[in-house]
Amino acid sequence: MTITDKVNAAANDPAHQGRIPLVSQVNAINWNRIQDEKDVEVWNRLVNNFWLPEKVPLSNDVQSWNTLTPEEQQLTMRVFTGLTLLDTIQGTVGAVSLIPDAITPHEEAVYTNIAFMESVHAKSYSSIFSTLASTPEIDDAFRWSVENPNLQKKAEIVMNYYRGDDPLKRKVASTLLESFLFYSGFYLPMYWSSRAKLTNTADLIRLIIRDEAVHGYYIGYKFQKGLEKETEERRQEIKDYTFNLLFELYDNEVQYTQDLYDQVGLTEDVKKFLHYNANKALMNLGYEPMFPKTVTDVSPAILSALSPNADENHDFFSGSGSSYVIGKAVNTEDEDWDF
Amino acid sequence: MANTLTEVAAPQALDYHSLNAMLNLYGPNGEIQFDKDREAAREYFLQHVNQNTVFFHSLKERLDYLVEKEYYEQAVLDQYSFEFITKLNDLAYSKKFRFQTFLGAFKYYTSYTLKTFDGKRYLERFEDRVVMTALGLAQGDEKLAIGLVEEIIAGRFQPATPTFLNTGKAQRGELVSCFLLRIEDNMESIARGINSALQLSKRGGGVALLLSNIREAGAPIKQIENQSSGIIPVMKLLEDSFSYANQLGARQGAGAVYLQAHHPDILRFLDTKRENADEKIRIKTLSLGVVVPDITFELAKKDEDMYLFSPYDVERVYGVPFADISVTEKYREMVDNPAIKKTKIKARDFFQTLAEIQFESGYPYIMYEDTVNAANPIKGRINMSNLCSEILQVNTPTTYNDDLSYDQIGKDISCNLGSLNIALTMDSPDFGATVETAIRGLTSVSNQSHIRSVRSIEDGNDKSHAIGLGQMNLHGYLARERVYYGSEEGIDFTNIYFYTVLFHALRASNNISIERGEKFDGFDDSTYASGEFFDKYTDQAWVPATARVAELFTTSNVHIPTQDDWKALKASIQQYGIYNQNLQAVPPTGSISYINNSTSSIHPIASKIEIRKEGKLGRVYYPAPFMTNDNLDYYQDAYEIGAEKIIDTYAAATQHVDQGLSLTLFFKDTATTRDINKAQIYAWRKGIKTIYYIRLRQLALEGTEVDGCVSCML
Repeated sequence: MTITDKVNAAANDPAHQGRIPLVSQVNAINWNRIQDEKDVEVWNRLVNNFWLPEKVPLSNDVQSWNTLTPEEQQLTMRVFTGLTLLDTIQGTVGAVSLIPDAITPHEEAVYTNIAFMESVHAKSYSSIFSTLASTPEIDDAFRWSVENPNLQKKAEIVMNYYRGDDPLKRKVASTLLESFLFYSGFYLPMYWSSRAKLTNTADLIRLIIRDEAVHGYYIGYKFQKGLEKETEERRQEIKDYTFNLLFELYDNEVQYTQDLYDQVGLTEDVKKFLHYNANKALMNLGYEPMFPKTVTDVSPAILSALSPNADENHDFFSGSGSSYVIGKAVNTEDEDWDF
Repeated sequence: MANTLTEVAAPQALDYHSLNAMLNLYGPNGEIQFDKDREAAREYFLQHVNQNTVFFHSLKERLDYLVEKEYYEQAVLDQYSFEFITKLNDLAYSKKFRFQTFLGAFKYYTSYTLKTFDGKRYLERFEDRVVMTALGLAQGDEKLAIGLVEEIIAGRFQPATPTFLNTGKAQRGELVSCFLLRIEDNMESIARGINSALQLSKRGGGVALLLSNIREAGAPIKQIENQSSGIIPVMKLLEDSFSYANQLGARQGAGAVYLQAHHPDILRFLDTKRENADEKIRIKTLSLGVVVPDITFELAKKDEDMYLFSPYDVERVYGVPFADISVTEKYREMVDNPAIKKTKIKARDFFQTLAEIQFESGYPYIMYEDTVNAANPIKGRINMSNLCSEILQVNTPTTYNDDLSYDQIGKDISCNLGSLNIALTMDSPDFGATVETAIRGLTSVSNQSHIRSVRSIEDGNDKSHAIGLGQMNLHGYLARERVYYGSEEGIDFTNIYFYTVLFHALRASNNISIERGEKFDGFDDSTYASGEFFDKYTDQAWVPATARVAELFTTSNVHIPTQDDWKALKASIQQYGIYNQNLQAVPPTGSISYINNSTSSIHPIASKIEIRKEGKLGRVYYPAPFMTNDNLDYYQDAYEIGAEKIIDTYAAATQHVDQGLSLTLFFKDTATTRDINKAQIYAWRKGIKTIYYIRLRQLALEGTEVDGCVSCML
């Protein structure tokens, strides 16, 4: 059974279908009646940020790829298969499972956009694979992803929570996935790019980070909105649940990080990065940070590279950069042509 | 949303990349950590450069080894006595050169310095590269060699990348930066264009090709209708050619294509850069440029249709290729001529599409065709620009025989560049001598360049000796002098500075003509010969309009040429000519401005701490030159300064530059296509010749940013 089969099986599991019903009733979405301005803001941002992997000239990284040692190549492949799995979950199950819980109709629309972009992300990794590696290497990496217990466990934990029947808990799982679990993988391309390796791949990953930052933020925001309506008791329950889940995921994530990064000696640095992002995820959910500053001192090179702002001054001749967006078209008027 | 993670505790024993990245993170008191970058530069030498540099006991041992192992070109050294080379070497080392930033040092050692063939160890320090460049360019002229060492090591003059990278090395590419090729409407010419693109990329230069003459999709071939596939397949072929050829891996092959706005394939051409373009037609790495005549603006003003003309028919009717006629002049005539097949689109829609694509991709460049030709002192037509949109020269077509040999070799364009650091040139002990040394250095590159594989380029260069003296560090200089970019004083300075440079550039080229008794081919037909060129300088006085700028020139001891100076120069030029058909072109200066510690070109800075990303460098951080925590006010970035002030500054410079200036426009993501269109119209009205990239800055959604990051918050 391949990893995608597992995801598919989960999605088609009758029990699962019973628990995540389709929306029972559909009304036409009226974008002229906005209940929550955040929906429009995020929708616009997501639409502007639309991109496809084909725009990034990944093939320019082939030379650089060949300068990596076999161990480094293997690590990179494994990291990306791990990310593919998470994005597959998020695209096919995660974001979709949030739709029935939506408070506003516009929120539903935003989730469909998120689900679509997650699928774009999942496909992007395949673009990276097919550009840089041969088919046996790719198969090998996917085999590893099926066989790695910590990766499988990570997927299972998240999948279980998506199957659960508590909307708020689903949002927690989703935010932790978007804002925390991805980052053990994101570390590596950022690390390479700070050392002038695989810079176009890093561009593509930065586009993904740009999206995930918005996704995590938005789902976390909706979580907080939902939480406001709950009783004090229930809030405490959710909070305990969140921290428990985070601990569970964190323990597993540390194992996973060791599996991947021990051989290149980066584990300690990646762990700091995990702490940093765990805090960030909690912040998105409106909670206080869990890790003290002393263990979140991520290497500045990684932290600076992480900025989702699109303001780098790239060299157009070696890459397409990660800063362009789809613009707003407005007609010129006669007064503009007054010369 | 409040954030509690503002500080990042400093870890122990940082590597230089981490130290450099700390530039982008605020220090404990909210200050920019300039000292971290200097530490990064220092650590880079301690941890990396010094340990990987090959040591030699003496200069003699070093040069002998490098020549014997075929690293250096023997012929370059043979032009001088060893005694002189020693003297020059001592001169260079006596200046105690130090890199001002981490990026400067990193860029130099990564991309320029001579390395062992296995790429692992360094064989040159910065001083060695400067000496070798000077020896190579001076061609045995000791005085010029000394002059070049003085100018380059002081940072006043910096040759362009191909020249600085390659001079004196035995295994090297060409010294020339830039090539422009015509393509005519036949298979021989298209195939030759692709071949030339490969050859020129292999030798290390950006290549631009003109597509305007190629018949459109659906045009007849041998009178059979609907046969031609238009320009897109040609673009695909070119794109693949450029990615195949690179200069020993040093520089990615890079190319641009230009198309006339009234070519029937114009919208297809633009759509190749759409975010959702089909893979079959998507163009990823080829740069696009559109040639826009005045008539297009007139039509848009009246909100009329614009007609697109089949190049195939135009060439049959007029007997010359489409690019060699003025669309503005012949527009009505072509519209009325039933022999020319045409289609139409709304002129305003065209401009809006242009802006949409610029939003999505930064492309296309724009060349204002009629502005460019009106300002051209040389006889002939300018119908295209180059990869960086600063080269503007005339060309003529090449024709071929049936066996693919040349029938008539036309004139294509090459240009070698080098830039002056405006701040340091203003500090120069002799402003005129600095300009003259630069002009002589660039002329030498033209004299030494013989691109035999592309005859139209070789012949063109032999006849024209065109060069492009550029400028950089305008914003750095203005900020150092506490003048705001785009302010009245800022624009006034730009005007008088470029005016003064022009005078000395012409004077230097005239001196070369006098010495050699030779002028560029076609001088007699130029407005230099007729004297018309000088009218605007002899008929009116050019003096600073503001007291501050007058003061800047006085304190720097830079003489501003008077009308009498111009009259004397005019007489000498009319009598002896000038050696270079073209003298100035202001390139965007990416890499060399980092090495030289400059702000790019005459642009405002993109950010106080610039995030630079390149294939060879990765992501590194660069502080604006002369910036301290006390003068941050003067370092407004390009997005804050806005399009209008940038255009005003460029307009002041443009009037004194015979070729073009790479002008990038910067917009915040709140801009719309209308704002871009307005800027294009404004630029056209102000006499701007070309527009290079459109850059957009999208800020992170509030709540998703990395906190304490300098480039994100300023």
